Amino acid sequence: MSLCVLEGMGFRVGQALGERLPQETLAFREELDVLKFLCKDLWVAVFQKQMDSLRTNHQGTYVLQDNSFPLLIRMASGLQYLEEAPKFLTFTCGLLRGTLSTLGIKSLVTASVASLPTCKFQVVIQKT
Amino acid sequence: MTVHNLYLFDRNGMCLHYSEWHRKKQAGIPKEEEYKLMYGMLFSIRSFVSKMSPLDMKDGFLAFQTSRYKLHYYETPTGIKVVMNTDLGVGPIRDVLHHIYSALYVELVVKNPLCPLGQTVQSELFRSRLDSYVRSLPFFSARAG
Repeated sequence: MSLCVLEGMGFRVGQALGERLPQETLAFREELDVLKFLCKDLWVAVFQKQMDSLRTNHQGTYVLQDNSFPLLIRMASGLQYLEEAPKFLTFTCGLLRGTLSTLGIKSLVTASVASLPTCKFQVVIQKT
Repeated sequence: MTVHNLYLFDRNGMCLHYSEWHRKKQAGIPKEEEYKLMYGMLFSIRSFVSKMSPLDMKDGFLAFQTSRYKLHYYETPTGIKVVMNTDLGVGPIRDVLHHIYSALYVELVVKNPLCPLGQTVQSELFRSRLDSYVRSLPFFSARAG
């Protein structure tokens, strides 16, 4: 239950960042540009580093991978704390969802950790 | 020159961490009792040193040495105590012990939300980083000298 609250807070922050951060008005010609903005500008503004990789199936699903996620990097380097790690990613999932929402994209964001500090954020675009 | 072992205590005497590298002789008592003995000794020496000092004390108790080893001591204002036993060739290593506190303990244990403070440190990352840091010290040699 409290994870929903955390995700909601991230969403609100993401909404505001989505409004404040983009510097060129016509930069987003297509969905992929928005995702690239998330990986580069948003990540740099919040975590002082870029996302390490972005993959897509070109059908509305994107996987963003960060190989040394700042919130996990001090915790472990491997498999210790693997069970609790996703809780610390909830706020960031909301952040991504909120930024996408301000930029006009409705989405569902989940996170997964295979081995700390690498984590993956899966963004699924909701077609209305 | 080498490092024998390292203890990390908190304010309440709880042993947060213990590692050993070259220790030829064990104390002959269970580990729990060894930690209590070490902490009790440090506590007594600290108060003895401050009481009996003929001059105003600046840093307090720093180290003691015997004919075989030297015990180095570093305490923070929060009561965290870092104790390292090395052989006799090693000089003052206050900065090393401070690094163990600030760059290892604070960064990897205090700042880790899943590490409860006041208990033995479970973080594998802390253990492995501490081990590689000690092994990289200039006065640590793989053969016990």
